[in-house]
Amino acid sequence: MSLRGEVALVLRGARMQRRVIGALIIREMHTRFGRHYFGYIWLFFEPLLLGTCIGLIHLLRDSPSTFGPFEFYAIGYVVYFIFRGIINRASSAITGNIGLLYHRTITLPDIFFARHIIETVSVTGVLVVFLFVLFAINGDFPENPTKIALAMIGMALLSQGIALVAAAATEAVEGIERGIHAITYLALPVCGMFFLVEWLPDWLQELALYIPTVHIFELLRDGQFGSRFRAHYDISYVMGWIMVTHLIGLAALRITRQRIGLE
Amino acid sequence: MSLELIDVHKSYPIRGGRRVILRGAYGRIARGEKVGILGRNGSGKSTLVRILGGVEAPSSGRIRNSMTLSWPIGMMAGFQPKLSGADNARFIARIYGRNTESVVESVADFSELGEYLRMPVMTYSSGMRSRLALAVSLAVDFDCYLVDEALAVGDTRFGRAFAEKIERSGLILVSHSPALVRRLCTRAAVLDQGILTFYDDLDEALATYNAL
Repeated sequence: MSLRGEVALVLRGARMQRRVIGALIIREMHTRFGRHYFGYIWLFFEPLLLGTCIGLIHLLRDSPSTFGPFEFYAIGYVVYFIFRGIINRASSAITGNIGLLYHRTITLPDIFFARHIIETVSVTGVLVVFLFVLFAINGDFPENPTKIALAMIGMALLSQGIALVAAAATEAVEGIERGIHAITYLALPVCGMFFLVEWLPDWLQELALYIPTVHIFELLRDGQFGSRFRAHYDISYVMGWIMVTHLIGLAALRITRQRIGLE
Repeated sequence: MSLELIDVHKSYPIRGGRRVILRGAYGRIARGEKVGILGRNGSGKSTLVRILGGVEAPSSGRIRNSMTLSWPIGMMAGFQPKLSGADNARFIARIYGRNTESVVESVADFSELGEYLRMPVMTYSSGMRSRLALAVSLAVDFDCYLVDEALAVGDTRFGRAFAEKIERSGLILVSHSPALVRRLCTRAAVLDQGILTFYDDLDEALATYNAL
């Protein structure tokens, strides 16, 4: 096949994939919430409510520091919510949508991409609300919004990579999904949401920086109040994690698809 | 344009061994042909449909297809029970790149669902579900329709309209009912104990099947 022919083929494939993902997004929204506006509002309110609660708890409990505890924890939680939301749903994605595989145009990764887009867009909306409310209340605007956006994208992609691997693992070993839920809970204290690397003793700092989400939270806080602390992160380390998890996840899903017997 | 089976094998691991569905199937179905595939209950018909439709991988061998072939049209292939028939039709239209509203219109005309088209599919009877699935697939418009049995397309108004619609396209109908195959197909194959045999003569196929 000529190069031109191959390019045309890839473009046609990309167009079809975009169409399929769009259709899946609409279907997922209708299914999850019905055709009622209340459902859409809930998608948005869940992270908003939880983020507000966590922010308030820390606002009341913590001694005033150089950081606003509310913005530190509320916005941190919103970013963690992407991680939790995407990974916890991973194990049910294939079983819940097995009928879709009757259509050759739909691939397993499409199903995940569609859900992850919904999750990320809604949580990004919540983040924007928080930033504007905080700005309206005390005039604090993040020092570098681009870094916050990068942290969101990084978190969404890293979660996606892990979700792809988790989904394939669930299909291979039954019962593993219980472990996955436990892991997202246990990740909460160590993922970087509750601390800055700077606050840790030296030996622990080194260990913490093996955890990819710690880099993402450092990047997030650098965007929020970077001039008030020394951030520790390495974007290439996070990108490495994203690439490796995607490669393993996509390859494993390919094998999974070959094995799935419908019904 | 055709659908070709080249040395297709399929087996599943089961307790204490493997269940063999196909042992080295060959065959060629040309565009526009109407072929019935007959098999007794438990002979692996549904698996064969999914392999032909390219949605389940054979254990070895190849399926070569150059037609546009429908998805295996059975009861609930990818239909979301919480959504209305119309919403499901729109979804299918989108993934096959068709205009959503013209697909819905055509489904409304053809499916005889009336007001039910706007109701959740979970409220449908099984006959209504199969009418919806068939109407949606006809609206998308394929070269060849791959239909799993148990469809309520008997000698009803809908059944006759369906037969008329597929007159101009191809059909692969997998069924245990010789009567249905005789009515809709011009050629047939029999699946028995892993062997798929194509017969050019419909009567010969039906006789072989009845003798099983």
